[in-house]
Amino acid sequence: MEGCPISRETCPKLLDLIPQERKWYHDKEKNNSDQEKKLELRLAPPGGDEEDLSAMKKKKNLETRNNIKKEAEDKPIFNLSGNHFSPSNKTTYAPPHISHKRTAPGPVVGWPPVRSFRKNLASSSSSKLGNDQINKSGEGEKQVEPKREGMFVKINMDSVPIGRKVDLNAYSTYEQLSLAVDKLFRGLLAAQRDTSGGEGEEQPIIGLLNGKGEFTLTYEDNEGDKMLVGDVPWQMFVSSVKRLRVIKSSEISSALKCKLLCSYGNMFYSHN
Amino acid sequence: WRRSGERKAPLSLSLSHTHKAASSSNLNRRNQNQTREMPEDDEDQSPPSDLRSQPPCSPNKSRNCISSSSSQTFPDHVLENVLENVLQFLDSRCDRNAASLVCKLWWKVEGLTRSEVFIGNCYALSPARLTQRFKRVRSLLLKGKPRFADFNLMPPDWGANFAPWVSTMAKAYPWLEKVDLKRMFVTDDDLALLAESFPGFKELVLVCCEGFGTSGIAVVANKCRKLKVLDLIESEVTDDEVDWVSCFPEDVTCLESLAFDCVEAPINFKALEGLVGRSPSLRKLRLNRFVSLEEVRRLLLLGAPQLTSLGTGSFSRGDQSDEQEPPDYAAAFRACKSVVCLSGFRELMPEYLPAILPVCANLTSLNFSYANISPDMFKPIIHSCHKLQIFWALDSICDEGLQAVAATCKELRELRIFPFDPREDSEGPVSELGLQAISEGCRKLESLLYFCQRMTNAALIAMSHNCPELTVFRLCIMGRHRPDHVTGKAMDEGFGAIVKNCKKLTRLAVSGLLTDQAFRYMGEYGKLIRTLSVAFAGDSDMALRHVLEGCPRLQKLEIRDSPFGDVALRSGMHRYYNMRFVWMSACSLSMGCCKDVARAMPNLVVEVIGSDDDDENREFVETLYMYRSLDGPRKDAPQFVTIL
Repeated sequence: MEGCPISRETCPKLLDLIPQERKWYHDKEKNNSDQEKKLELRLAPPGGDEEDLSAMKKKKNLETRNNIKKEAEDKPIFNLSGNHFSPSNKTTYAPPHISHKRTAPGPVVGWPPVRSFRKNLASSSSSKLGNDQINKSGEGEKQVEPKREGMFVKINMDSVPIGRKVDLNAYSTYEQLSLAVDKLFRGLLAAQRDTSGGEGEEQPIIGLLNGKGEFTLTYEDNEGDKMLVGDVPWQMFVSSVKRLRVIKSSEISSALKCKLLCSYGNMFYSHN
Repeated sequence: WRRSGERKAPLSLSLSHTHKAASSSNLNRRNQNQTREMPEDDEDQSPPSDLRSQPPCSPNKSRNCISSSSSQTFPDHVLENVLENVLQFLDSRCDRNAASLVCKLWWKVEGLTRSEVFIGNCYALSPARLTQRFKRVRSLLLKGKPRFADFNLMPPDWGANFAPWVSTMAKAYPWLEKVDLKRMFVTDDDLALLAESFPGFKELVLVCCEGFGTSGIAVVANKCRKLKVLDLIESEVTDDEVDWVSCFPEDVTCLESLAFDCVEAPINFKALEGLVGRSPSLRKLRLNRFVSLEEVRRLLLLGAPQLTSLGTGSFSRGDQSDEQEPPDYAAAFRACKSVVCLSGFRELMPEYLPAILPVCANLTSLNFSYANISPDMFKPIIHSCHKLQIFWALDSICDEGLQAVAATCKELRELRIFPFDPREDSEGPVSELGLQAISEGCRKLESLLYFCQRMTNAALIAMSHNCPELTVFRLCIMGRHRPDHVTGKAMDEGFGAIVKNCKKLTRLAVSGLLTDQAFRYMGEYGKLIRTLSVAFAGDSDMALRHVLEGCPRLQKLEIRDSPFGDVALRSGMHRYYNMRFVWMSACSLSMGCCKDVARAMPNLVVEVIGSDDDDENREFVETLYMYRSLDGPRKDAPQFVTIL
C-alpha cells in the first residue's frame, strides 16, 4: 500500500464486485472526492462509517441519506464488523413502512426496549457460571449499540487532575483536534501551574503532534497499545482510538520521538 | 444573600411583597382555553391545574403602583400573612396546585411558600419562569428526555441540558438543598457550579443522566459539606480516572445514602473503607461491580448494623485464591440486622449466594436483575423471603422460579423480569405459566414489568381478575406482532381484560399482535391511564383515535412503529394541551399535518427529529415529539431537530 492509506488502485477493483444495482456508487466515486473517504478499506459497511458515527448528527445531504436508505433495504455487502455498526443503526432512518406489520428479520433499533447497560449480560463472565440452562454465547454483543454515537473519548493531561471528553466526530483532521485540546486544557493547565494565586499568563499548548512542544498527544487504541497521535490516517485513528492522553514530551523515549518527527514529516510532504 | 423571608419573619416578608402585588387583585383570571398545566408526577391523581404566568403588564403596573401601594388595606396584609402561615403546611403538589387556583392572592402566596418543585418536562418552561414564580425553592425534581431516548430512538445531543437551570438557580436559590434529575444532560461544569453555589446542599440524585464523569462527582463530594445523599442511578458516568471517593472531606460526614452502582470505574477501596468508617449516618450503600465480595465483607464489618439498603457490588471474589478457605461471608451478612433492600450481584459467583440467607427474612426489596441465576440456585433463597414487596430479576429464574416467588412472596407489590438475552428470537425461559402463577400467588401486585417470548390471552385475563390492585402493567412480548401462542389470536382480549378489570390502572405498555380492538378497549375502559406505550401495534388510525378520545387522563403517550397517521393525530388536538408529551416515531405522519398541528396550537412545541426538509423524498415524519410549553420553542435545539 506504499504507506498510503487511500489506495485508488484497489478501490475500483472492489467496486467491480458490486452487483449492478450498486453502480451509482461507482459513478459518484469518480466525481466526488468525499466519496473516496467512504471507500477506504476498513472494517465497516461502505459509506456507513461517517454516516453511522454522525448519522445521528444528520448531515442534511440528500445523497448520503439515499446511501443510508439503500443500505437499509439491501443488506450491506461489506458487513465485516457486526459489533460497531449493526444494520439496526441504519434502520432508524428507514422509511416507516418497512417495519409495519411485517416480522422483519433484522434487529430493530431500541427493540426490545432494554437499556444498554442491561444488554451485555449474555457476554459477561457470569454467564458461564451458575446457569447451564441458559447458555448463550456472546451473540448478545450484536445487540450492543455504541453507547455514545457522538464518538466521545476521554482525554487526560499530565499534571491536570480533571479529565475531559472530546467528540472526535467534531473534527476531521489532527490539526483541529490539536486546537481543541489546546482550548480544553489551556486554562486548566495554567490554573495548575499558577501556585501564587495571582493571574498567570495562559500559554497556548502547541506542538502536540510534532514532538516539538512541551506536551505530546498520545492515544490508546482498541488493542490497548499506546500510540502517538498522527501516524495513521484520520479515519483509521478515529475508528481505533479508545482514549487520549496528553503527556509530557520529555517522557517519550528518544526512539519514539524520532519516529514521531519522521512520521509527521511524511504526512506533511507525501502525496496522497 | 439570603431572603429574609424565613418562617421567623413572615410579617415583614408579606409587607414587602404586597408592594409588588398591588395590581394583582385587579387582573382578570385567565381564559380557560389558555389553561396551562403544572406538569405532574406519575402518581398524581388530581386534575391538572394552572401554572399561570405573571400577566405581561404586571411588572410595569407594579412599578407604577408603588406609589399607590398605600392603598392596600391593612386587612389585606394580614390576610396574606395568615395565608402564608397556613399554606406552608401544604406538602402535596396536587393540594398546592389546587390552592393556587383560588385567586390571585392565593396563587402568589402559594408561589412564595412552595419549597419543592416538580417539573416533568424541562422544556415546558424556562428556568427564569421557575425563579419568578417560586421564590423559596429548596428542592427541585426535573425531568428531561422522553423515555424512548433510553433505547437509542433519539440522537444524542438532543438537549435536556441542566446548565441553564443550575446557572439560574445559583443566583435565585442559594439555599437550595436538593436536586433530583432524570434523563438530563449534566456536565462536570454543571456539577462544579452546583457544588460551589449552594452551601447547604444536601441531596443529589441523578437517574438515567449522562454527560458527566467522575471529575464532577469528585467536586460534589469535596465541596458539598452537608451532603447527605449522593445517588447515581442507571446513569452513564465517564471514567475520568479521578479518585472521587478520596475527595470527601476528612472529618465525619453527614452521608446517609451513597449509591454508585452504575459507575463503571474502579474505586479506591481504602478510601471507601475510611469513608464508611466516618459516616455514622450511612444507611444506604450501593457499590459498583468493582467492589469484590471480600471488600463488601470488610465494609459490612464496619457498618453493617445501621445499613438498611445494600448494593453488593460484583458479588464475586477478586482474587481466585482457591487454596485458602473463603471467609465466612454469611457472618458478615448476619450482622446486617437492618438491611431490607438488597441489590448488586453484578458478576455473581453463585456458590456464594447462600451467604445472603441470614438477611432474606427481613428483605422487602431484592434486585437480582444482573444475576444469571438458575431456578435451582434461586429457590432456596426466595423460599425465605416472606416479606418481599419489590422483586427484580432476570428471566433466568424461569417459570419455575416465578412459581417459587408466587408460593412465598404473598406481599409482593412490584415485579420486574428482565431478559437475560434481549433478542427477538432468543429462547424464552419465562412465559404465561410464570405470569399465571404470579397472578394466583401475589394478589397484592401493583406494578408489573415482564419481558417474555410467548404469552396467552388467558394468562392476562387471569391476572386481570386476580390482581385488582394493578396500577402499572407493562408487558413486553419480545417478538414483534406475536399472537397468543396457544390460540394464534391477537392479544386484544388479554389487554382488554387488563384495562377493564384493573380499575386502578394508570400506566400501560402493550406488545404482541394487537388490532384496533385492543385500542377500543383502552379507550372504553382506560379512564385512569396516564402513561401509554405502544410499539408495533394497531391496524389503523382508529386505534389511536380510540385512545385520544377515550382516555381523559392521558398525559404521556409514546408510540413507535405503528400505522397511525394524520387523521389520528388531528383527532387528539383537543387533548394535547392537557398532556405532558406525545412521541410518535416511525408512524405514518406527514410533515404537512405536523405543521398544521403546530400552527393550530401555538403553545405546543412540535419537534420533528431527523426528517428531510424535502418532502418528496420522505413521505412520513421519522419522529414527532411534541409537548406543551409556556415559553415557546427552545433555543438550544440541535440541527437535526426541526421545530415547526
